[in-house]
Amino acid sequence: MPLTKGFAISIVALILGLLMAFQFRTHQLPVTVIPTDRAQALTQELKELHKELNALSVEANDLEAKLLKAQKGVEEARAALDNEITKNNMLAGLVPVKGPGVELVLRYAPQDKPSTHLFTLRDEDLLRVVNELRAASAEAIAINDQRIVDITEIRLAGSYINVNLTRIVPPYRIVAIGNPEELRKMLEMPDGVVPTFHDWGIDVELKTVDEIEIPAYQGNLEKRFARPATKGGGA
Amino acid sequence: MPTSDQSSRTKQVYWGLAIVGLILGLMISTQFRYAREIALNITIQRAQQLTDEIHAATVQRDRLQNRVEELRHKMDQVAANPELSRLRETLDKTKMQAGLITLTGPGVEVTLNDSVVALQPGQDPNLYVLHDEDILRVLNELRAAGAEALAINGERLLATSEVRCVGPTVLVNKTKRLAPPYVITAIGDPNTMVASLKMPGGVLDVLQFWGIQASVKKADLVTVPAYSGATNFQYARPSGEGVNNASD
Repeated sequence: MPLTKGFAISIVALILGLLMAFQFRTHQLPVTVIPTDRAQALTQELKELHKELNALSVEANDLEAKLLKAQKGVEEARAALDNEITKNNMLAGLVPVKGPGVELVLRYAPQDKPSTHLFTLRDEDLLRVVNELRAASAEAIAINDQRIVDITEIRLAGSYINVNLTRIVPPYRIVAIGNPEELRKMLEMPDGVVPTFHDWGIDVELKTVDEIEIPAYQGNLEKRFARPATKGGGA
Repeated sequence: MPTSDQSSRTKQVYWGLAIVGLILGLMISTQFRYAREIALNITIQRAQQLTDEIHAATVQRDRLQNRVEELRHKMDQVAANPELSRLRETLDKTKMQAGLITLTGPGVEVTLNDSVVALQPGQDPNLYVLHDEDILRVLNELRAAGAEALAINGERLLATSEVRCVGPTVLVNKTKRLAPPYVITAIGDPNTMVASLKMPGGVLDVLQFWGIQASVKKADLVTVPAYSGATNFQYARPSGEGVNNASD
């Protein structure tokens, strides 16, 4: 009889084992496509859309006010146009700006502890920082006093990094104007740049500031190849 | 025969145990799967709701965008007054520099798409998918090669434009969702830009190593549309009077 007893128990064990294994697999597979992640991404997108909607209506109101003013007389029109020109210059990066924001300083650990830093910072690391700041709605960015404009490159040239064709050397000081908390949060995200650089043994210093100044772009934005489109243009 | 009677009863007990165990196992597993389905259903409903809201907001955004464009155009007409002709020139120039005017010129078109390499079991598919970093690197290379104006899938890239991967799509200018293939248009010297991208060990080489479809072609005339989003500043304000007039 110990044979049947053993048999019954093995069947129970076998079935339970199978069920557990099956359960484990169905539980593991979908982890790669976490549905909450998708909802999160959509929520984020919706938030950005509402921000943009808000910004667009502010801009529409602003333009309407300027137009109304401009109709009153030449002087008023001049003031309204000047205002638009300044805004365009800010957008292009041709005027120095100030405002609240963040300051990020990246330093290598002292040379006498060579084992502490794993990697040197490369152009793509700085590109990533700039991209994250832009994603957090930064309004103006500079690296070591080089204003980042639409045609700014951040590129390894030999063993140095060039920004706006100008060589920059560590420590890298990246400043951005925008909502200080949003900018800080973006950089400090769990897989964001600050924790990553920290893991690489780089000395990372991030602080929010009430007022920071960002210089104007020093280069030339004149276009040699591009011409305004004659039709269908935004002008 | 008491021993045989007892042993057959023990046998029955064991069988009973086995059946109970089986049913319990099944119940537990169905219970788990059912609970997961509920969770999934909730997020699908929520995602549906979010998608609807996103759609509504996108329609509203496009309408407001048109309104703003119309107003900017009216602003140009204000400047038509002959007494303001000097200002009009400056306004036009700054609009061009800020990216608010559609530009054309010689340049290149770079097309990027996900890898077509058939994955071997155990390979990480993530390595063969186009990432935002890849797009950033191509853009950076074009800038280094002297690109004067850039757009991706018709979305103008400004000093403040980010490129962010969200699942299989890309978001630029905060709210503009783009789907592959990604076509980057750049105005500038076509030869310099192509040479720079195709450099041995350069950007295209690296992308092609991962099987990512990347190609570049020169064009006599490409169009880079004007930026259509909002341009107002919430935090930054001009400091001092200095303006860089290097391009005057």
